[in-house]
Amino acid sequence: MDKDCSMYIEHVESGKRKVTLSLTVNDRLVVRDVDPQMTLLHFLRDELKLFGTKEACGEGECGACTVIMNGKAVTSCIILAIEAEGAQITTVEGLAKDGKLSILQEEFVSQDALQCGFCTPGFLMSTRALLDSNADPSDEEIIETLSGNLCRCTGYIPILNAVKRTIERERKELGR
Amino acid sequence: MISRFQYFKPHNLSDAVQYLEKEDNSYVLAGGTDLMILLRRNLINAEHIVDIKAIPELSALEYSNSTGLTIGAGVVVNRLVDSEIVKTNYPALQQAAASLASFQLRNRATAVGNICNASPGADLPPSLLVYDALVNITGPHGDRQVPVDQFFTGVKRTVLQRGELVVSLQLPEPGEGDRSIYLRQTRLRGHDLATVGVASRIKPNGKVAIGICAVAPTPLRLFALEDKINERGLNKETIDWAGEEINAHIRPISDVRSSALYRLQMASVLLKRGLLNLIGEEE
Repeated sequence: MDKDCSMYIEHVESGKRKVTLSLTVNDRLVVRDVDPQMTLLHFLRDELKLFGTKEACGEGECGACTVIMNGKAVTSCIILAIEAEGAQITTVEGLAKDGKLSILQEEFVSQDALQCGFCTPGFLMSTRALLDSNADPSDEEIIETLSGNLCRCTGYIPILNAVKRTIERERKELGR
Repeated sequence: MISRFQYFKPHNLSDAVQYLEKEDNSYVLAGGTDLMILLRRNLINAEHIVDIKAIPELSALEYSNSTGLTIGAGVVVNRLVDSEIVKTNYPALQQAAASLASFQLRNRATAVGNICNASPGADLPPSLLVYDALVNITGPHGDRQVPVDQFFTGVKRTVLQRGELVVSLQLPEPGEGDRSIYLRQTRLRGHDLATVGVASRIKPNGKVAIGICAVAPTPLRLFALEDKINERGLNKETIDWAGEEINAHIRPISDVRSSALYRLQMASVLLKRGLLNLIGEEE
């Protein structure tokens, strides 16, 4: 296969001895034996069947695989699963509670901040990490924080609007 | 990924060094933002990965008046961006850190990794060069300290020997009235290396220091140009002259990011813009 091919390539077992990994994913403790070669992205998708986190470039450039690791937005495609030992991970599946979308997700819908939706989980997680550390960021701070997420559909303005509406609503409804 | 590696996460420096010396094809993993891509593209065949993130002293980011700034090998770039101490005392370094890659990558990428990877276009070296940064190295034969202008030996090559590991970067205290700026030309902010990056500094004694990336096989400190500028005295006229003269001190190539000619022109523009900014003059 072409080495630059960017389609999702499933993890291939290396045959090396597995390593026990224990971490918290979306508030749930997970303990698994993993291949040392496995990326965090593959672990989330292939092992935990959390398919919300996407792979596009596979090299940390596009942000589609962004998850929150210990409070920081990171690209899970270039992190080894075993580097996440003991970590707290939040994926897009961790945003909705009791079957109800979060305010952030609702505003991405209301502002048409997505079309094909492939980049959306990454944008949501980058935004969540930002708002968790800074409840009232400036436009410049929002744009800078989301500069590592690429979207080919929206032209970004609806995404910026969704983030700003989220800030407003979270302030009013959650008292942030 | 063709590499089949063992993963080792030492908790102290001596275990890390012993392992790196003993095992062939072993690679240091800090942020992984370069290493993981080399692995994924099958450009290296790693048999051992040594993750240094559990070694306590490597996470230090400290400043004192006597020793200046210490940046441990585990310090991620966003810590430099967010540090008030770095922003106040080493503005060019803070600006370079803020311009490096994207937000998510800066949450993983380390400053020390940026120099160890030794890309000619890496963003941090120009600023580290103008601040006379020292690279603290440990290895099987003890510790040594290398000035950052002697650290790079070629494209993706450094002075590091088998078993050696960079522990930290050390930047001397800049002193009262020190000024600096990092300017960068790039095709696409957040997603590309610098086409040219220039760090300019005026020291408290009025002498200039200039560091530049992406115009030679290694990042460069332009000592000869600095001497000429300092001889002439720093003013608008000298800066105009230096904008022409810089092209005699760099050797850019044409590549996917830029032609050599464009790099020459941008080096001139960024140097003049930076120095004028530092002396408070309009372009």
